[in-house]
Amino acid sequence: MVIEIIEKILLLSGMVALGFIIGMFFNGFARKVTARIHNRVGPPIYQGYLDVFKLFAKKTNISHGWIFDLAALFSVAGIALAFLFLPVAGISLLSTEGDLFLILYLLAIPALGFALGAGASGNPNAAVGIMRALMLMLAYELPLVMVIVAMMVHYNTTSLATLVQMQSNFKWALFVPQFFIGAIIVDMALQGMLMEKPFDIAIAPHEIASGPMVEFGGKHLGALMLYKMMAIVVETTLFVDLFLGGGVVLSVEQYGWIAYLVNFLVWFALITFVFFLALLINAVFPRFRIEQALKFYWKYDALAALLLLIWVYAGVSI
Amino acid sequence: MRNEDWKKISRLVSKRSLWMVHFCTGCGAMEMPPVMTSRYDMERFGMHAMATPRQADILLITGYLAVKTLKRVVQVYEQMQDPKYVIGFGSCTINGGMYWDSYNTIKDLSKYIPVDLYIAGCMPRPEAIMDAFLKLMDMIDKGEAIGWKKYRKYYDQYKRNQRMAFAYRLDEVKEIKEDDAK
Amino acid sequence: MMAQELFPQAQKIREGRIRIETTKDEVGTILRKLKENGYDHFVMLSCIDWINDGEFELVYHMWSYEYREHVMISIRVDRENPTMLSLRDIFPQIETYEREIHEMFGVNFIGNPRLGDFILEGWPHIPPMRKDFDTEKFVKDFYYKIPEVREE
Repeated sequence: MVIEIIEKILLLSGMVALGFIIGMFFNGFARKVTARIHNRVGPPIYQGYLDVFKLFAKKTNISHGWIFDLAALFSVAGIALAFLFLPVAGISLLSTEGDLFLILYLLAIPALGFALGAGASGNPNAAVGIMRALMLMLAYELPLVMVIVAMMVHYNTTSLATLVQMQSNFKWALFVPQFFIGAIIVDMALQGMLMEKPFDIAIAPHEIASGPMVEFGGKHLGALMLYKMMAIVVETTLFVDLFLGGGVVLSVEQYGWIAYLVNFLVWFALITFVFFLALLINAVFPRFRIEQALKFYWKYDALAALLLLIWVYAGVSI
Repeated sequence: MRNEDWKKISRLVSKRSLWMVHFCTGCGAMEMPPVMTSRYDMERFGMHAMATPRQADILLITGYLAVKTLKRVVQVYEQMQDPKYVIGFGSCTINGGMYWDSYNTIKDLSKYIPVDLYIAGCMPRPEAIMDAFLKLMDMIDKGEAIGWKKYRKYYDQYKRNQRMAFAYRLDEVKEIKEDDAK
Repeated sequence: MMAQELFPQAQKIREGRIRIETTKDEVGTILRKLKENGYDHFVMLSCIDWINDGEFELVYHMWSYEYREHVMISIRVDRENPTMLSLRDIFPQIETYEREIHEMFGVNFIGNPRLGDFILEGWPHIPPMRKDFDTEKFVKDFYYKIPEVREE
């Protein structure tokens, strides 16, 4: 009993550590890719690890009270919890029935932590930034939720693990005509979730001095960066789980531990690819204004998602 | 001993990830875009520009400072988190440069905040700036860039100089007071 | 109507450049009249210290996009007690120039509520742009005398 619990805890913390390590890799990867597109050499690919290390090695001269101190931790904890609920390469540690709903809620928690910290800092730029971030969340969640509801109806399940299982043997949702369109819609929403251009309205370094993070420095900023890096992993994994079968290519029953390894590598390749697509868009686009982003999501994305939902409903009844 | 090793490792890593906030006064700001973009690309060394002083490690002052600007510079410097480094850029920060006889620009930046490194020239070329960055990395690695420690240790002297400059008044100098009386 | 037709006392310096010398009290009237007659761009207000005459010269620069003509309205004010009426009701941007000239030359603009610290904060000496302010001496006595930070 006790050994089981310890085993579980070790597994969970190992998973979180893995998420952080991949997230930090993604930071360097993103900067390198963007630099190559700009015809620059760019930083080394392990730059993310150096940055986080440096930030945690810095001293903290300024704090704005205990809410400010805890807010970054709140964000990191929220995103780590969301990561644990996602099936990664077919392994789902905390998955239960109905976790698709749960994940949508968990994805909102880190943003609220972010908002708490920004509010406690009392900086007007932070207030503007967090207002934009929450507005953007409102905007992209509408098409995202509609597509996810359509998937629930089509596959008749609310469990992400079951969804991944149903897509095994390359029966990916992407190859179903409805969800090919769904994948495009969610990819647009993903661009907003990752806060890459043209939806980096909340951060906007040249405009509102990096928005909610304006007062964060040193260790606080390090925690926030960990959150942002982990968020990339979580959000791309959600996309891969929904449409690309979660990276499961070999069944564990048949191949044993090799299956784990291969599945993990495929999952990693897929999330890198999804992130790479977002980076390509990021590198060449300018920034939307908040009302343009809202219009984009609610007018085109949400409308397409609504039509998709109707299509799926009709398909079910026939 | 273990603490020393830890500091060594932390310096070794920190020097490869320097973020800077540039305080763009004067014409020095003009030389920064080539340094940041594809021609010279300072991101090779892991450096990039940050939006706020809270997040930054380097304060780059790119030109002359009026006394009113110096107030803001001191504020920005004090907002930064330790360890922090200051680079004075161009001859204006060294001895006033072409503003050597201006009534309103400070002449020597290191009297008011600790400067780790000066780049001479009017203007310094991007190559000189890149060289300075490499030099600063070297200094950090050897533990020579200790301006932030100096600011803490000699805080009273720095504050005294700042107060003197802000008030445009030196107690030792009697002539100005006589001018006033007239 | 062009400036020379409006004001017979205006001198033509060269093509497109007119100078009107007048007194303190008439500046407002002239500016208003020029504004009504197509000279709708107030360029700037400048000041010259004529130390030997004991006077400040204030120059109001106007420009017309219609006639492509630059009009300078020049007045002299007493150096010992320099006062002038604020003209910020005609062109609001005059307020900023008045603040600057108040700071750099010490001309008092009556009716401008924002005279005070502008670029120099807390300047205790005579205004620095006046000819009798010795800049070099001030710099040598002040900036160069601030002690370096001494390290023990």
